Amino acid sequence: MTKRFAKRIISLLISILLVHAVAFLMVRSTRGGPFDEERALSPQVRLALEQRYGLDDPLPLQYLRAVGGLLRGDFGPSLRYRDTQVSELLADALPISLALGGGALLLALWIGIPVGLLAASKRHPLGAGVAATCSTLLLAIPNFVIAGVVVALFSFELGWLPPAGFGQLRHLLLPWLCLALPLAAQIALLVRARTTETLQSAAVRSAIAQGLAPAVLLKRYVLRPSLTPVLAFLGPATAALLTGSLVIEQVFALPGLGTFFVQAALARDYTLALGVTVVYTALLGSCTLIADLLMAKLDPRVEALS
Amino acid sequence: MKLQWLTRAAWIFLALLALLSLVAPWLPIADYRAMDPDARLQAPQWTSAPMLGTDAQGRDMLARLLWGARISLFVGLFGTLVAMLVGVPYGALAGYRGGRWDRTMMRLADAMESIPMVVFVLFLMSILQEYRAELAQVGFGRLQLFLVAIGLLFWLPTARVARAEALRIRQLPYVMAARSAGMRGWPLLRRHILPNMMPALQVMLLLTLPRVILMEAFLSFLGLGVEPPAVSWGGLASDGLAAMNPLVGSAWLMLLPSGALALTLLALQRVGASAKD
Repeated sequence: MTKRFAKRIISLLISILLVHAVAFLMVRSTRGGPFDEERALSPQVRLALEQRYGLDDPLPLQYLRAVGGLLRGDFGPSLRYRDTQVSELLADALPISLALGGGALLLALWIGIPVGLLAASKRHPLGAGVAATCSTLLLAIPNFVIAGVVVALFSFELGWLPPAGFGQLRHLLLPWLCLALPLAAQIALLVRARTTETLQSAAVRSAIAQGLAPAVLLKRYVLRPSLTPVLAFLGPATAALLTGSLVIEQVFALPGLGTFFVQAALARDYTLALGVTVVYTALLGSCTLIADLLMAKLDPRVEALS
Repeated sequence: MKLQWLTRAAWIFLALLALLSLVAPWLPIADYRAMDPDARLQAPQWTSAPMLGTDAQGRDMLARLLWGARISLFVGLFGTLVAMLVGVPYGALAGYRGGRWDRTMMRLADAMESIPMVVFVLFLMSILQEYRAELAQVGFGRLQLFLVAIGLLFWLPTARVARAEALRIRQLPYVMAARSAGMRGWPLLRRHILPNMMPALQVMLLLTLPRVILMEAFLSFLGLGVEPPAVSWGGLASDGLAAMNPLVGSAWLMLLPSGALALTLLALQRVGASAKD
């Protein structure tokens, strides 16, 4: 167990280093740069700028310096936000994105699991049909459309919640909802598929034959096997959250990692984009790792297999 | 069983849509690029002239939707094909070779999975913007770049399916017979293994298509999709979202393209699910 865990951590570190190396090479080999503006700089000014940012050193030296910085969590100065370190921007943005993603994940589980169980039940055919149809529908709509509809409804029509901004809890409610809904739909479909299977298994059938009350049956025999695919889904779910947050943070003007990343990508702030990419890789990798560990805890067969 | 009529309806819808978008240039509809400052933001009339209304520049929405369908479907189809062109040989080779090759190739795939590919691809595309002029010279516009990006994003699931299929087929008696008769390598793969993967790959194609179309919408929203004057459904929906405000109430600008998108994706899902059973 510990050995496997250590192996996974090492491979996570290697993939972070690889992503960093490829991104670094791509950034350094581009011809255009942040100093190419409408007005041409005089050669002296350009040289001074490049010296200041260490862009005139040989490439291997630059790379080693970048790796040294990576180990200290230092990605150098942002190319657009003058006099600001990328790490400062990341430190400001990360908590916002974590709050957004974490809240959305909890909300998605909280909606998705009961809806999935409902969709699998034979006792409420109408509810099951509605739950399954809604989940399928939600998966076919881009999340920025969901965001638009939700804003139109709750902000413009009803006037309950602010359409954008950041600072208070109520600013986060709509983004949480928009980010969570597609994920909840996916979780519901997963839970439904596995629960339908579990309900037909010999173990559950004999439990029913013993005359167990539905609540006990659900708790002891159905829930645990039905939730393993949800755990296995946590890794991909984190990836989906990252992707979704790129859009949702834009729509709701939240100053999180996603907003910074998209702005950096469009404004050629490569050091910032590189920093966000590395942070995203670390986030996704650690979430996948945690999900795998949880799964091994819940279902010992997983451990035995690998 | 009871969903059979729905599957049939989905097929008919998709066929109609494909046909309409194919013949869009010859249909008697307005030019999708023609702006008309006197006819801005007209609500849908349903039966008379701007049937589906006009957008903030007075362009006809019906024409824009049909031309958008062309791009969305084209990107979906070719993006999926690119993903399969990368994924199928990779997975088939890993599954067919087995052993150490399989382990190494699949470990690489696992490692790729732990990288946020969407972010990485966005990063790549933003950097490639620097080389737009050179790329355009060799016939590589935003659309082609986009197809490459899709290939990078979606080849992994395809590779996994192809590998599982190759592993299964490899053990079938007729493949063993061919092997014992001395058939090896590429001829064996091409004649016996690849053709028998086709059913599974067709299902994979149908399942990947809606995801690619959705990804195009996502990138268009972020401003990295197709470039104007070309239109796609995702771009239209995001324009609609931008034009939406409580005073004008021009909700149709967003609802029409996203409705079309959702209907198409649902139809594809239905068709894919029925093919899987």
